[in-house]
Amino acid sequence: MTHLPTEEKRQRYRRGLRWAMALLAFVLIVPLIPYGIVAAEGQLGSNTADIWRDARNKDQRDAFRTQIQGIETAVLINNRGEQWRTFREKQLVPYGGYLLLGTLGLITAFFLFRGRIKIEGGRSGKLVPRFSSNQRVMHWFAAGLFVLLGVTGLILLYGRYVLIPLLGPEGFAITASASKEVHNLFGPIFPFAIIALMLMFGRGNMFRLLDFKWFLKAGGLFGGHAADSGYYNGGQKSWFWMTVLFGIAISVSGLILDFPVFGQTRELMAGSHLVHGIIAVVFIAASFGHIYIGTLGMEGAVESMTSGYVDSNWAAEHHNLWYQEMEKAGMVDVEPNALEEVKRHDDIDFKGFGQPNPQTKEG
Amino acid sequence: MFLEFVEGPLWYASVVIFLVGIAIRFYEILARGVKPDLAVPRTDGTAGALRTIVSRSWTAKGFSSGAVFHLVAGYMFHIGLFVLLFFAAPHIVFIEERILGFGWTAAPHWVFIAAANLAFAGLILLWLRRVMHPVMRKISTFDDHAAAWLTFIVMFTGCMALLEGHDGLRALHMLSVCVLMIYFPFSRLMHAFTFVLSRGYTGAVMGRKGVQA
Repeated sequence: MTHLPTEEKRQRYRRGLRWAMALLAFVLIVPLIPYGIVAAEGQLGSNTADIWRDARNKDQRDAFRTQIQGIETAVLINNRGEQWRTFREKQLVPYGGYLLLGTLGLITAFFLFRGRIKIEGGRSGKLVPRFSSNQRVMHWFAAGLFVLLGVTGLILLYGRYVLIPLLGPEGFAITASASKEVHNLFGPIFPFAIIALMLMFGRGNMFRLLDFKWFLKAGGLFGGHAADSGYYNGGQKSWFWMTVLFGIAISVSGLILDFPVFGQTRELMAGSHLVHGIIAVVFIAASFGHIYIGTLGMEGAVESMTSGYVDSNWAAEHHNLWYQEMEKAGMVDVEPNALEEVKRHDDIDFKGFGQPNPQTKEG
Repeated sequence: MFLEFVEGPLWYASVVIFLVGIAIRFYEILARGVKPDLAVPRTDGTAGALRTIVSRSWTAKGFSSGAVFHLVAGYMFHIGLFVLLFFAAPHIVFIEERILGFGWTAAPHWVFIAAANLAFAGLILLWLRRVMHPVMRKISTFDDHAAAWLTFIVMFTGCMALLEGHDGLRALHMLSVCVLMIYFPFSRLMHAFTFVLSRGYTGAVMGRKGVQA
């Protein structure tokens, strides 16, 4: 074993340290050389915009490659996400909230001003059949889905603003998670409910001249007598078509969002989300009016969708032309007869069950 | 803590009540026996029983038009529920870990979604029909409504817990499952097992009389 003098050992150690430092400097400096060359040629500053443009893939060029193959996986920064987020937070959430709360406020003010619209002649006790049990089943099926999807959708849209202060972050996280799953699972059923509504209530819902007269008098909402009305009035027809058109739009956009496995781009997803959110908020606000006038706002209206029968005075006041038809057909003051009703359903003959007669020309 | 209770003592108690309750119900039915048939049988009762067990799976001739709603909605619900119960991935894991010790392949996601939609839509439509149809409303009892709502709550809480990210939601689902299992043997939900006996009995009796029931 060789024993080196202490001074020699020290020198060898210093030499080693110097080599190590030089190697480290080399490793750190070498990667910077290309940048130095570019900077020396004055190109670094002008290339920044190109780099960021490529990163955002604004020119739709295949600028980047990635191991992950899929739609837009080579886009490092997707502007659509930020645009969607900004619109959602700065416009959809506040303006949607104003619309929903404003509609509720208007309805409340209207109720305080106008009160409940009573049956002027009081209840006669004579019943007129209005909606079959099949129609009522489909109405409540669609209504139940609408309420469930509406509530869960509003939780997803407004939950972080409204529920976090009430439930705390953890409570909101659980509620939002449950709402998202319920919304996504029940959503695909809604299109079928809309189709069923179209089939069950489509007949008699085409607009006629009569309905515009009804609109001019605001359906008698602010007093005075409403204009003549058949089986459906202008307001009911408007709600029907709003349900159909909004229902189709919200269903299509919802399905695009719910099943993102068909190559949808971020742009399509963001657009669908905006359409879905905007229509949903308007749809829900409009439904407040429908629910109000069908229950609290008007005496005798809700019975048509619960028992299927309405009071004859209600029918004469709000749907006078239809009432006259029913009177002629001997369908006024009928006893709610279960077996008779079943027979009518089985025959699928709505002629005697208060459906509008296509031969009758209104307006 | 709550999840441990629901998946522990409450789950085991529910299973015991479920199994013992079903055994008692079957004993009650079978102990009644069958009235002695003194007439000479025209055909074999067993064949009649088997035929009726199958043939009652659709509506009898002449009654089809009035039963389309029940037939379609009924199959939507029952097939959907069957697929959910036995082919949803979380259920298979539970069955493997807690009941049988082995599992099987879960249904693809789209099948699961379709089954859930069918089951929910069918159940809601059937219950609405029960409430809205004048005859159905009159012949319905508390038990019919309770069974429908309990089943719906079990399915709904299961849907809420789909993400499997929160113990609270899983506990809620398991709690509703336990309640349903305790209620099951003492309700009309027993038709899930007794339909074989009732159809078979009718078919056998009619078969011996030479009538195709």
